[in-house]
Amino acid sequence: MKLYLTAAIVSLIGLADAIYLTIEHVTGQSVRCTIVAGCSEVLSSPYSVVAGVPLAMIGAAAYFGVFSFATLAAFGYRFAVKLLTVLVLVMFLVSLWLIYLQAFVIHAFCQFCLLSAAVATALTVIVLLARRAARLS
Amino acid sequence: MKRSLPFIIILVVLAVAVGSVWYMTRPTPGSTTLVNPASPNQSPSNARPASLTGVPGAEPAHTLGSANAPAHIEEFGDFQCPPCGMFHPILTQMHKEFGDKLRITFREFPLAGHNHAVAAASSAEAAGLQNRYWEMHDMIYEHQADWKDKFDVRPVFEDYAKQLGLDVERWKRDVGSEQVAQRIFLDGRRGHSMGVKGTPTVFLNGREVPFETLIVADKLRVVIQNEINASGSR
Repeated sequence: MKLYLTAAIVSLIGLADAIYLTIEHVTGQSVRCTIVAGCSEVLSSPYSVVAGVPLAMIGAAAYFGVFSFATLAAFGYRFAVKLLTVLVLVMFLVSLWLIYLQAFVIHAFCQFCLLSAAVATALTVIVLLARRAARLS
Repeated sequence: MKRSLPFIIILVVLAVAVGSVWYMTRPTPGSTTLVNPASPNQSPSNARPASLTGVPGAEPAHTLGSANAPAHIEEFGDFQCPPCGMFHPILTQMHKEFGDKLRITFREFPLAGHNHAVAAASSAEAAGLQNRYWEMHDMIYEHQADWKDKFDVRPVFEDYAKQLGLDVERWKRDVGSEQVAQRIFLDGRRGHSMGVKGTPTVFLNGREVPFETLIVADKLRVVIQNEINASGSR
């Protein structure tokens, strides 16, 4: 249960990061060059939008989903555990794809996107540890 | 209570998340927004000349158009920044269309993340000391794709100086001079005092123009025209 609580707290970091990127996208700030290099190249690339929706907004929704399921799991709602696991695994795989795009296609890294990937990785590890702990007990 | 607690927590987080996005993306009263060009009365009439906000930049500033123009655009730009390169032809077009009714000032704002931004700004400023600032400015922007990924840009800019018929020896001395460095510093300090954090940042009669308006000529034309119309009705 404590691990799910940890996952809920960690997901808030990802949620804040994704909200920040969404605001940057919506206000057009991300397209500009800023004092922090790299982000404008990544965030103004065609990969930053999926079917007209900013990827950051989809990310924010996903992190909110993780927070919700992790909170419910921490309070003993068993159905949330499966949903949390699937969501976190999908986010981890998407993060790997986005890192690949930054490294080999866009040739620029945005630290806010890397933070999101780090959070998704941490969430994957926490959720897998929680499931292992549940199996062992 | 215990069963409903997680749902309450989730709802609180959702409210904070949605609320923060709404708060940060709401239109602010001070920003320049698109208004109907047929209704000049809707144009903000409390516009202050840009010179009244922020600390002074390098003087004399690099300007185009009449000093008494009803619309004054002040751009803070970085020659190596791709969106600044995209904005350059749009601003050039506005200059052609509005002529003396639009005053344009360019301020150097080279960003630390761009390895050649200072070299490009210095090259343009050094050309300015031979009264050829705008020619070099245009040359550097128009060929941005040719030099921005090079390791050494000095021969490229030197070639531009030759093509423009500058006194190249003097230009080479001026590029590294204290005078040029000071001009770039003063423009940067002015930008900082006006809250500039990225490029291009553009002020129209002292108010910042949103980026999405800048990069669409039709939208920018409307906000400039509004300022001109508003000055006529005052």
